[in-house]
Amino acid sequence: MDIIAGIIQTSILAGGVLALAALGEVLAERVGVVNLGVEGLMALGAVTGIATVVATPNPMLGFALAMVVGFFFGMVFAATTVYLRANQVLCGLALTLMGTGMAATIGRAYSGTPAPATFPPIAIPYLSDIPLLGRALFTQNILVYLIYIILPVALHWLMFRTKHGLDMRAVGENPAAADAAGIPVQAMRFWYVSAGAALAAGAGAYLTLAFVPSWSEGVVAGRGWIAVSLVIFAGYRPINAVAAALLFGLITSLGFVGQARNWPIPSPVLSMLPYLGTIAMIIVPVLAWQRMRRLMAAPAALGEPYFRDVR
Amino acid sequence: MAYRIQRIPSAPPSVAFAARGMAIVLALVTAGIVLAALGFNPLALGWQVLRTTFGSSYGLEDVGLLVIPLIFTGLAVAVGQKIGAQNIGAEGQFYAGAFAATGVALFVPGPTAVILPLMFVAGAIGGAIWILVPTLARAYADVNELITTLLLNFVATLMVYWVATGPWLDPSGRALATTARLPHEVPEFWGIVHWGLPVAGVVVLLVAALFAFTRWGYEVRIAGSNPQAARYAGMPFRRHLIVVMLLSGAIAGLAGMFEVAGTVHRLQGGISNNFGYLGIMVAVLARSSPIGVLPAAALMAVILNSGIVLQTQGITVSTVLAITGLILFYTAIGDELARYRIVRG
Repeated sequence: MDIIAGIIQTSILAGGVLALAALGEVLAERVGVVNLGVEGLMALGAVTGIATVVATPNPMLGFALAMVVGFFFGMVFAATTVYLRANQVLCGLALTLMGTGMAATIGRAYSGTPAPATFPPIAIPYLSDIPLLGRALFTQNILVYLIYIILPVALHWLMFRTKHGLDMRAVGENPAAADAAGIPVQAMRFWYVSAGAALAAGAGAYLTLAFVPSWSEGVVAGRGWIAVSLVIFAGYRPINAVAAALLFGLITSLGFVGQARNWPIPSPVLSMLPYLGTIAMIIVPVLAWQRMRRLMAAPAALGEPYFRDVR
Repeated sequence: MAYRIQRIPSAPPSVAFAARGMAIVLALVTAGIVLAALGFNPLALGWQVLRTTFGSSYGLEDVGLLVIPLIFTGLAVAVGQKIGAQNIGAEGQFYAGAFAATGVALFVPGPTAVILPLMFVAGAIGGAIWILVPTLARAYADVNELITTLLLNFVATLMVYWVATGPWLDPSGRALATTARLPHEVPEFWGIVHWGLPVAGVVVLLVAALFAFTRWGYEVRIAGSNPQAARYAGMPFRRHLIVVMLLSGAIAGLAGMFEVAGTVHRLQGGISNNFGYLGIMVAVLARSSPIGVLPAAALMAVILNSGIVLQTQGITVSTVLAITGLILFYTAIGDELARYRIVRG
């Protein structure tokens, strides 16, 4: 039973990275902008997090500063894709290259050193004493509760239960109609893309301050791209995205268990599982659930810059 | 007399070309400012790069060696873009091609004259197999190939790392984390530069001719710019898509084959050196033109080489990757701005 509890605990911890990044991408894609810079933003956030705690051992500050850095780069990306209307795919790839390269350059000084301060697990009184799964579910660091409960519920409420959320989705589905209805299309896109980028960078800081927790080049290891894929799989819904991330955490932790218990599978092969799993997850549902397609479809104007004059 | 700004559907080639030049200059200036802020002297660094690269035959040979994989990966991405497919997985196909070619070299006995062509074919097939699943998923289920090809990069990297440290590890015990030296190699023709360079040139010309002069190439170009129109005209869009994507993967696989058989001589983790990702850059700079890949790859090779030259100064390949991203970023902006013109009235 301890093994299962351990797997669940690791799954939640590992899935948190993907969940936070995926929530950020949901924000951007719901207003119609594909941000393929998640991988680079996560690298920047990861290195900001570690650099902060090395300077002053305050993980909360590290996480906050990472989000600030992410927000800044998000604003640069949003300004070019939303206002200058440059190609979103190219700008996203550029952001990934820039972020990964810059983070690796800055991070050379921190390579291999474990984070001097991390987010400690907090045991919630009474709940963590529940037999079997209590400890796994309720002895986690504070970010886990934020990522799995507070953020997705808040975002779901915002997107599907408020007028503002309706406006937001309108911008992603039909910017021309939204514009005609008086919704500020460009501003909406700009701020949500920037906010989403802040979450992606926060996911990077989570990686170096709570999950790994140390910096090394390539620490992000494609998690940004997995997060982008999860958003598609989750049908652009925050709660689904978090659930999908948890499933991925499970796949990752199975790899860890395999390594720890000496399964006769080489560890690089186990490390392939999350990537192969992601590919399967974005191909299989398309084939299997033809009827769900409309419900889970991408925002209609996803990836298209909005020009008022060619409306 | 009033002037207004007008947006045109596509930029005139001369303006787009100028925008690319501007993008590169701006990216280098930005990088220079950042480096100056970090306490480097960008002008001295730039001079050192120019002197070591163009001042000696050794520098040019280094660039000549780097340009080979960049031509192949750049061409691979450009070919995909011809039909509107974003093959971001050239990195993975590179690994798969290197893996397949190494397998042939290590386990098929025979004279070099027979084995090298076999390795060539194996490299191409390896690359094509690596893109097969994303291709079929795009063709039959409309799954975005950008993400599937990219995710397979990580799988390929792990696969090569695994065989190089496990099953195919050099049995002599002298080398760590790499296969034995391959018994066959692509001969050199100029210093350290091997025959992969002329072969890359020939492949570029063949592909360019295929797109420019054949009916197939014409149909692919139509399908790429307007899939709807292609379908109405009765062109087999799906079949073209599959063939083009497999061709793209095969070309990226050749990059890996030549890198392992001509340059590195051993299969090891990290052999691709980001060539696959830099290939995206090459294709974008070339505006997906196969011939344009040649100058674009040469430029990227010089930029990549500067990272190697400056390594002693504390500037790494990662810094170069960041600068590459900056160029891509400015290019994307420039491409959009190049579509605007000021008209009277």
